[in-house]
Amino acid sequence: MNRIARRSAAMFLLVALLLGGISFFVADYLMHGKEWVMKPGSPHVYAGPNIGCGIVTDREGLLLLDTNNQRIYSPDASLRAATLHWVGDRYGYISAPAVATYAEEMAGYDIISGLYSYSGAGQTRLTLSAQVQKAALEAMGDKKGTVAVYNYKTGQLLCAVSTPTYDPDNPPTITEENQSEYEGVYMNRFTMSAYVPGSIFKVVTAAAALEEIPDILEQTFTCTGSRPYSPEPVTCSKAHGELDLYSALAQSCNCSFASIVDQLGPEKLQYYVEKYGVTGSVSFDGITTASGNFDLTNAGKNQIAWSGIGQHTDQVNPCAYLAFMGAIANGGTGVLPYVVEQVVCGDAVTYQASATQTQRILPEQIALELQQMMRNNVVEKYGVESFPDLTVCGKSGTAQADNRLSTGLFAGFVTDEAYPLAFIAIVEEGGSGRQVCVPILSEVLSVCKQIMDE
Amino acid sequence: MLDQYLQADSPYVKVFLASMRYAAPILAAIILLRCCWPLLTFRREPEIWAMLRLPNGKRLPITHWENIIGRHRRCDVLIDLPTVAKTHAVLTRYDDGSWTITDTGTKSGLRVNGKREDICALEREDVISIGGVDLVFEPISEPHVAKLAKLRTRASSGTQSIANLLLQSLLQSLSGLAFLLGGADAMPILLGYGGIMVLEWLLLIFYQMIHRPAFEVETLAFLLCTMGMAAICAVKPGESVKQLIALVLGLLIFLAVGWSMRDLERAKKMRYVAAVAGVGLLAATLVFGREYYGAKNWLVIGPLSIQPSELAKVCYVYVGASVMDRLTNKRNLISFITYTLIICGCLALMNDFGTAMIFFVAFLMIAYMRSGSVGTIALAITALGFAGVIALKLAPHALQRFSSWRHIWDDPLGAGYQQTRALMCIASGGLFGLGIGNGWMKNLFAADSDMVFATLSEEWGMVMPLLLVLTIVALAIFTVRTAFVSRSSFYTIGSCTAAAIFLVQTMFNVLGTLDVLPLTGVTFPFVSNGGSSMMCAWGLLAFIKAADTRKSASFAVRANDRRDSDE
Repeated sequence: MNRIARRSAAMFLLVALLLGGISFFVADYLMHGKEWVMKPGSPHVYAGPNIGCGIVTDREGLLLLDTNNQRIYSPDASLRAATLHWVGDRYGYISAPAVATYAEEMAGYDIISGLYSYSGAGQTRLTLSAQVQKAALEAMGDKKGTVAVYNYKTGQLLCAVSTPTYDPDNPPTITEENQSEYEGVYMNRFTMSAYVPGSIFKVVTAAAALEEIPDILEQTFTCTGSRPYSPEPVTCSKAHGELDLYSALAQSCNCSFASIVDQLGPEKLQYYVEKYGVTGSVSFDGITTASGNFDLTNAGKNQIAWSGIGQHTDQVNPCAYLAFMGAIANGGTGVLPYVVEQVVCGDAVTYQASATQTQRILPEQIALELQQMMRNNVVEKYGVESFPDLTVCGKSGTAQADNRLSTGLFAGFVTDEAYPLAFIAIVEEGGSGRQVCVPILSEVLSVCKQIMDE
Repeated sequence: MLDQYLQADSPYVKVFLASMRYAAPILAAIILLRCCWPLLTFRREPEIWAMLRLPNGKRLPITHWENIIGRHRRCDVLIDLPTVAKTHAVLTRYDDGSWTITDTGTKSGLRVNGKREDICALEREDVISIGGVDLVFEPISEPHVAKLAKLRTRASSGTQSIANLLLQSLLQSLSGLAFLLGGADAMPILLGYGGIMVLEWLLLIFYQMIHRPAFEVETLAFLLCTMGMAAICAVKPGESVKQLIALVLGLLIFLAVGWSMRDLERAKKMRYVAAVAGVGLLAATLVFGREYYGAKNWLVIGPLSIQPSELAKVCYVYVGASVMDRLTNKRNLISFITYTLIICGCLALMNDFGTAMIFFVAFLMIAYMRSGSVGTIALAITALGFAGVIALKLAPHALQRFSSWRHIWDDPLGAGYQQTRALMCIASGGLFGLGIGNGWMKNLFAADSDMVFATLSEEWGMVMPLLLVLTIVALAIFTVRTAFVSRSSFYTIGSCTAAAIFLVQTMFNVLGTLDVLPLTGVTFPFVSNGGSSMMCAWGLLAFIKAADTRKSASFAVRANDRRDSDE
């Protein structure tokens, strides 16, 4: 009997397996329970394909979306279209990653109580202004692209519109006939796209030159309309004649900038582009934006020159470039943009955003010099009257693309103490950046000023 | 007046429901601790049945009904002389108090009163010679047996059992009330919970009448049944009465199986009945059975639909258990292997993968408990064959689950649907649950059976089903502890196999739900909704009860003071 009794100890093997498996699960739960409960389709958090545990408002508290029940959007159709890429649609074609990131805070989840205290009364307040969003959408008209404005002192995104868009209460039927009209409609172009930057990239090259070439401000450049390289020259639309760095940037002279790139050399250029982070990606509110591109591998001399002018294989993400503009405006250190201001569950504030300073990317002296150069652009070229009552600094760009009309871009900032705003506007197939983007930004910035004055 | 306090939105109701989140697991934990403590800490006092007197006057106590005499250090009677074989002889007591000694086939042989014997009935003062040592056999007289029995510590007092059951009834009443206040249909709740309460008290009263007050094992089983009822009330309230009827049938099986084992001679005869019944049940399923979800394991008789393979488990354990003097006999082993192969064949034909796995583990447990050195190889080969059949059957039936195992989030709406919903609901419930009636799991297939861990977790909190798992573990550890004071290997093998089946079913059920193991379709004993599974669980519990030799603990164990067995 003794022997048989001892064999019963085999039971402990089964007990160990069972308890081992349970412990494995409990550890898994402690580490990932939070993720599980917020996974898409989680019965208590999601209503259909999108998050369903509270309301989303603009910066003023104006309702953009009530996620409970059948997802009730704002009664204003143009506002619905203007904010679609931030709050998501009903069918899961357009997700709302920033809102979903704070689902846990909105639902009031914790590992001990689960969702018990969750009442469906969560509230997420975005930094976006309904008024500016609408103005931006209207200014964009039927053009494709993106307009964004953020406060470079706090990081709050006042406006980030992506077009084309549609009214989620009245979704279009996309057919073969109209599909070009809705090209990339499910994508938030501000975070998910990368564009050829064209001449707005000259700000990057100018910054590098100011840091690297001691006498750059004393140098003069002679533009004959073409600068010889093999196999092909770098060209300008016309001969600009004698220029210094200020006027070269204002005139957006390719030949002058090609000469600067030659002085810098590819290694230095690459170094500064990476240091400024303009072709990298930005992360905020659970979103990591698309990356840009800057690649001089196997590039010939003229290709290197073109890449310093924002062509060749250069690409930038609108949000990352906006953050670079913010850093210049802010004296060389940036503040990351963000879109979720505050999350409340019941009576408790479960998340409160704060400014995230980035590392210094530019010496303050050089940032100030760039501010003046970009202000000079507006004064000399774009016209101060486009931006009444605002000290706007900026640079336009017109990026050539194969087989289609060029993309118009405009990026810059406002230096007034009361309006610390950086902005970017990109219009696909819009032609000249100056012609297409300046009116849009003129409108958007004036509404921004208006709401900041209130 | 009362109405206004009982409105769903009244603050009293809200406070009550909120406090139930903590009260229920605390009550369950107290019940579990109070029942486990005596089961896991009882003093293992051996029962003394006889003495062997050595030439030097020293007496060796005989503490089991089946005792191995030999040189091996694990022998019950150890005689450390080179002339004695490792396993020399088996000394067996029978129900009627008679004794025999059997030679295990040693070269030097066994002599009783100087005469060489293979098997021999023993009388008082018989001289047993083993390897040149003379042992004088002294069975203990019946008055002496009774005296020794009286001196043993009682298993537990009736008051403790009543106190435990009062706590259990409190848990049941509060749970029922919470369901009613949550706005559930009254009838199924009242019948379900009320029925369990009536049954448990009836059983306790019956035990008190026959002077067997120990009720820990049953209280634990009823605790599991209670939480099973909670899942049914949340998912399919209409089936609460059906489950209650299954519980009644289960209790009857429990008492019948327990009674059959009370007398070892009767039990040995019943083995043949069980063997025939086991194969018969499976054969009947093969011929008349219906196929659901790919496995032909349902038998529909009028309004009843049962899974005979569940009941066959009880029969199989009965067949697998064996007394010691037969364990040394090869023929016995071969017939068990043959029997296993027949069962295995039936399950293969039925395409019942889940049950086959359970039988396989039961087989391994029995095989390990039984095999000394003789049959190990044969047993291993059978095991291999068993596994092979399972592997073949596994391919079409369970392959999908295997491919999504540990990858459920890759296909949350397809192959991973069940498990991802389970994990999301478990996490939503946290440790103390969303509250009764607030779960989503009821929308999921098999929420009250295969996925019952998640269903309970969501509404009652993860603490509750974890306590239920610990309950099963406690029963298993108890069987190991009690094995050392067991009377016969029949009870030890039976109880250990039953406990192993409980453990494995719990493991497959719970870890399958949690995506730790790639299995589904196995029930959580006593908890999962399913009549046949409930009956099987109670049938198996009888084996555990029969191994409980604590004084006056078990109706399935005859008291060893036979004169006044109703002491």
